[in-house]
Amino acid sequence: MKLNDIKAKYRELFVVEKAPEDKNKPKDVKKAVKDFWYGKPHEERRLGDLYVGDTGLYKHREWRGVKDTMYYFNMVWLYNYAHMVTDIMKYGDGTPKSVVDFAKGVMRYRWMGQTYLTVMHWFDRGMEGMRGEAMRASAWHYRGMVSESIRQFQRMFVSDKKIHGGKEPETWKKNIAHNETVGGSFFYPFMDELEEVPLEMIPYFVSVHVNSHTVLNYIDAAQSIGLPSDPCPMCQAEYGLFVLDDYPDFAPAMVTSNEACDGSVATSVLQDWFLNRPLYALPQPMRYDDPLVQKHCQKEIENCWKFIEEQYGIKFDWDQYVKHAEAYNKLTEFEWEKWDVAANTPYYPISGVAQALYRIYYSQVGDRPIWHEMDEHVKRIMNKTVKNKIETFPKTRHRAIAWSCAPLYYSHWCTWAYNCWGINCVINMDSLMFDQYLRTDTYEHALEDLAWMNEKAPMRAMAVGGHEHILSLFDYMERFNCDMVIMYDQLQCKGMQGIHGVFEDEFRKRDIHAIWIPHALPEKRTVSRKEIRQIINDYMTTVMHEEPLDPTLVDFDDDKSW
Amino acid sequence: MKSIWKLLGKFLGFTAVVYGILFAVFYWDLDGKFMYYIWEPMMIKRFDNMKRADNTSIPYLQKDKVAPDEYTQIL
Repeated sequence: MKLNDIKAKYRELFVVEKAPEDKNKPKDVKKAVKDFWYGKPHEERRLGDLYVGDTGLYKHREWRGVKDTMYYFNMVWLYNYAHMVTDIMKYGDGTPKSVVDFAKGVMRYRWMGQTYLTVMHWFDRGMEGMRGEAMRASAWHYRGMVSESIRQFQRMFVSDKKIHGGKEPETWKKNIAHNETVGGSFFYPFMDELEEVPLEMIPYFVSVHVNSHTVLNYIDAAQSIGLPSDPCPMCQAEYGLFVLDDYPDFAPAMVTSNEACDGSVATSVLQDWFLNRPLYALPQPMRYDDPLVQKHCQKEIENCWKFIEEQYGIKFDWDQYVKHAEAYNKLTEFEWEKWDVAANTPYYPISGVAQALYRIYYSQVGDRPIWHEMDEHVKRIMNKTVKNKIETFPKTRHRAIAWSCAPLYYSHWCTWAYNCWGINCVINMDSLMFDQYLRTDTYEHALEDLAWMNEKAPMRAMAVGGHEHILSLFDYMERFNCDMVIMYDQLQCKGMQGIHGVFEDEFRKRDIHAIWIPHALPEKRTVSRKEIRQIINDYMTTVMHEEPLDPTLVDFDDDKSW
Repeated sequence: MKSIWKLLGKFLGFTAVVYGILFAVFYWDLDGKFMYYIWEPMMIKRFDNMKRADNTSIPYLQKDKVAPDEYTQIL
């Protein structure tokens, strides 16, 4: 490599070019010191200049002012790297062997080795441009998700037959695998004897958010054996894991589900084939307003418990159920508190992406100590913002609600939308799922509430649960004081495609600003992130006639980024 | 006593250097660049060349031996 090439590479990777209008400006030392200390004002940040080509990497990470940069370095970057190590130890078997199992998992599974080590960039993308309390509170949500992800994959690794030479580790018999949309709450009665781990949550779902490259292998693998390419790519990725033999063998039985659609039913059938072990299908009813469906759903849950008792030789424990359901209710109560602040004040300290991902993650997983710990941190910050009237997203021009299922490969679009256009996504459909208090006074009430919970699972009630639930968007829009809808258009979801026209009519009738965002859930090749941004840019300039807050974010390429 | 201060000074100096290096890694996104340009291509190569079991060769009917009818009945 010649010296000139090295210089060019250095410039490409590390040097941020000055804005053309700044090139001939005389040096203003006072302003430079102020920018160094407090960080640049929103309109002068030029965040788009920090990117290295289309990689999504940074020439340097953003300077947020001394206080916020040092907080991000110490309490986000260093803190999370350090705690990842301690979590790997803690959630393994508590010995140094945990690290060996982790290393084996990294070398055995693509979704681990290629994906999760890039996790700090997931934080960066989600918290780009954020300052103060918003950055702090959102980072705690991310920390909770990372810790829970480590719990899940470490439990898989320490119990995995595949990375232990086909031998059955001691913990293998004490695990139950389940589909990622089967709520952790269904396993509360067995929590003292059984460890539940969603099978696809880490290998597929979370991985796409962290690193969107990996999942494409699984989608392609599914199609390579002749399966059709038009069902939801989520289903394709989930069975692609099995086609590529890239799933850990960590449990003797599985509880699966129809998730949200017929495509997912096919996933369960294929999993039944590939797993080749006892499997119970716990369906989520498609239309549930009929009381008979309620009874049916309750019966299915009871049968699931019977299945667990028979497979594992353990007994339903009511006290365990009560303990965890009541703890989970505490999380729900705080969620309602958060919604109240988000809906009625400008002091809500959680970003759109942190709100969406944390809520869907903890409500899906169910009661775990880490969520309570994180909620305490966030509660402290939220109390401060409300008490001191701190506007957490001061450049908000529009309060948006995001509806339908989000693009997993671009869940952080809302961070970009705020930085570029001042669109503050205050709430989203996935956050409103699983909105169910679990009564613990009687067994009948508990069963009834769990059945309702099953019917309010992700992508269920408000995506394919009948038009009256899907159209509850307008009610929530009013409750959260939103003036704009970001309408996700999952191109391969036949359920939501069927109601597209109804939404168009309703938006026109109600004179609502709605931006349709087409995407294919985990599959970034169908609609790229850049195309999504372009759609929002076009709407904001041609319909809203607005100028971007940060012009460097209007047009940039990140096709090869994680 | 003097040697304790000296030792403490060395320790603080060492900590400051490590802290400075870590800050440089953070600020210049060296962790990201390492992952993107070195680690990920290495892993892709590894996983692309990994020998894998052909799960499609598992006979589907085997499931009938372990799944009792009652679990698949529609009630």
